[in-house]
Amino acid sequence: MRETPRQICLEEWDQRQATLARQGGGEPSYGGPLGRHVEREGNGRLRQLRFDNSTAALRLWNFLLTENQRLRAARAQGERLVGAMKDLGTVPVMAYALPRVRAFYPDGAWWTPCLMECTDRLLNQAEALGADATTCPVRAMLAAFQNGEHFPRPDLLVCSAGAICDDFSAIAQRLERLGSAVLWWEMPRRREPETGEASCALPGGLRAPADQVECVRDELRRVAIALGRLVATELTAERLRDGIQSANAVRRELQALRETVYAAAGAPLPALEMLIAEMLAVHFCSDRDESRVVLGGLVQEATRRVAARQSVVDETGIRVYWVNPVADLRAMNLLETCGGQLCGSDFMFTHALDLIPEDLPPLEALARTALADPMVGPVQDRARRIVQECRRYRVEAVVVSRIPGASHCAWEGAYLREHLAAELGVPAVEIEVPPVCDALLPALRTRLQAVLEIAQSRRRA
Amino acid sequence: MEVLVTSPWVPREWIRAHGLEPRGAWFAQLDPSGALPEGVCAFAGAMARLHQAQPHAGIVFTTACDQMRRAADATASSGGKHAFLFSLPATWQTSAARKLYHAEVARLGKYLESLGGHTPGEEELMREIRRSEAQRAHRRRILEAGSSSDRGVPLALVGGPLLPSQWSLFDAVEAAGGRVVLNATEPGERSVLPPLPPMAPGQEAVIALADHYFDHAVDVFHRPNTRLYAWLGERLQARGARGILLWAHLACDLWRVEAASLREAFDLPVLVLEAHRVGTGGLRDRQRLGAFIESRR
Ligand code: SF4
Ligand code: SF4
Repeated sequence: MRETPRQICLEEWDQRQATLARQGGGEPSYGGPLGRHVEREGNGRLRQLRFDNSTAALRLWNFLLTENQRLRAARAQGERLVGAMKDLGTVPVMAYALPRVRAFYPDGAWWTPCLMECTDRLLNQAEALGADATTCPVRAMLAAFQNGEHFPRPDLLVCSAGAICDDFSAIAQRLERLGSAVLWWEMPRRREPETGEASCALPGGLRAPADQVECVRDELRRVAIALGRLVATELTAERLRDGIQSANAVRRELQALRETVYAAAGAPLPALEMLIAEMLAVHFCSDRDESRVVLGGLVQEATRRVAARQSVVDETGIRVYWVNPVADLRAMNLLETCGGQLCGSDFMFTHALDLIPEDLPPLEALARTALADPMVGPVQDRARRIVQECRRYRVEAVVVSRIPGASHCAWEGAYLREHLAAELGVPAVEIEVPPVCDALLPALRTRLQAVLEIAQSRRRA
Repeated sequence: MEVLVTSPWVPREWIRAHGLEPRGAWFAQLDPSGALPEGVCAFAGAMARLHQAQPHAGIVFTTACDQMRRAADATASSGGKHAFLFSLPATWQTSAARKLYHAEVARLGKYLESLGGHTPGEEELMREIRRSEAQRAHRRRILEAGSSSDRGVPLALVGGPLLPSQWSLFDAVEAAGGRVVLNATEPGERSVLPPLPPMAPGQEAVIALADHYFDHAVDVFHRPNTRLYAWLGERLQARGARGILLWAHLACDLWRVEAASLREAFDLPVLVLEAHRVGTGGLRDRQRLGAFIESRR
């Protein structure tokens, strides 16, 4: 029986899951009660979260929280593991184009301190290894590599270098010094083509000089060779083309999901599930085909809810655009408790939401997509895209979320807040969310409520 | 016209050959006032304000670090007209990176022309190369001669930009009983290129110059940054350094995170000194410096 859409706690989900299981709910192999992730993996944060009550959301969460097991099982079956670092969306497309290769982002350890409510002590261990709290929570990755408890050590580690944040660059270099060999590939900072300079169109309506595209293409060719060597199989253009098509299938599902949810009058899915869903386009959660199925389930659920005029939050909630991911997932729940609904997002990887061109030579297409990364170009380009999305989804307020220690936030945050507010004529607020934000909840709530109240009074005016 | 350059890895000779005057941004009039947002490197923050203090000068930023890249963005968004962002590759072992560097030198040339510079002839550029070579040779001779005094604990000073307003650091080290035998900050010894090798017959001067900079830049942002370690390793040993003072701006991840690696690579103790602000440059904790030097006697 379908329930009215609402957000429920972990305990209620476990009861509901048990009922569904008794009724023969047909869960995937990685399904089961969410509570087991607290007991077995120590993901205590789940107890503080509120989840969407659809089976599609249950599948999403179970898929996310079983990635580590999936990777270990793949390793046990002789598959090769690639640790892709920083590019957010490019290297996995290449890796999954090969047989017996799985890619994952060690960067994902970013969320481990949150999920484990810092009982993992990864942040302290990272500090002992040389990356202190002046760097962003991605430093947890450094400790996770050392202790080997959170993901298996990859057979190949690939990291983009150049136009990336200083935090990651410094931490990845430290990782290499500690003994993990890294294949670095150059990602130049994207710039506007000059007058008369040969240039190429990039996904997302951007352009870059042809020279830059060529540089990235040559670098990706090096990566392709290294990937192929892992399994003694050449990563041919044919394989890459297939890989791009499959990645695009995932991206299409995500585009449909975003369109359905963000354009709806009342959000059919909550902010937290949208954050998790968007991430699937980046890393496929170590199973590309299943990530498509998981997203497909969410699209169906969202579509059904919209058709039934059902929303998971108050339909009159203020329409909010969210910039940057949050180190503590609980902050996404806070948006709804304060009276907002998520109607647009830039979680720092909008280039992974755009389709990879299928009418170009595959490495060229991947190079153009990689160069469209919002973090690789000027903040003005990023702001332009956000403005377009805000207009499209009739956004009434913007939240710019700062990541503690992140080198880019110090510069971008104020610019985005001021520019978006001025350009869109909507209130904008900047908040900082640490990996466990409980102590700051009252202050965060006050700031969010203030901006939503301003938006509310503008609506009334 | 003056062109302020924020990195040692942008060829000065090329700027001079265009008829413009390059000047290290370290020596520019920096605005020590004004609050910087939390997390902004004081040096990058000062660079973002340079165009207000010197609106008629050209400014060359580089992509060496995220902070500096974003300082260039901030300059553009606050109306800085004469800014140029030079894409310095982080990798250095591939032909793609070398090609990128060459292309940036050519693009810099066009920018210099837009500022009123002229396209230099081969001879003009060679003249500037020779001039810079002579200046560098002079600097190297001074550096090789070293200090006349051998009193004090020999220490290496390693890290990011050290501004004239921060040179009191050397006095502080001496007062605490130490002696800087290697200055590997910017624009210290680390920024002095070795002599340019003889050019191949028919080789264009600009290509030889670009290759020389590309091949000999020694910096923390390179990936991997093994060249920095090789460069330091030779000199730390030759100069008998007994400890490393790591000069890191407060929000500079690139240098700060190196502390542990420097300690391990050279088996030397490392003291991180934080440069808080561009103008003051004072040491936050002279006692720490004193204790560190004392422990290395
Ligand atoms: S959150 Fe920001 S600072 Fe941290 S790794 Fe990602 S891009 Fe870098
Ligand atoms: S000191 Fe560090 S953060 Fe500042 S400009 Fe230099 S490398 Fe960048």
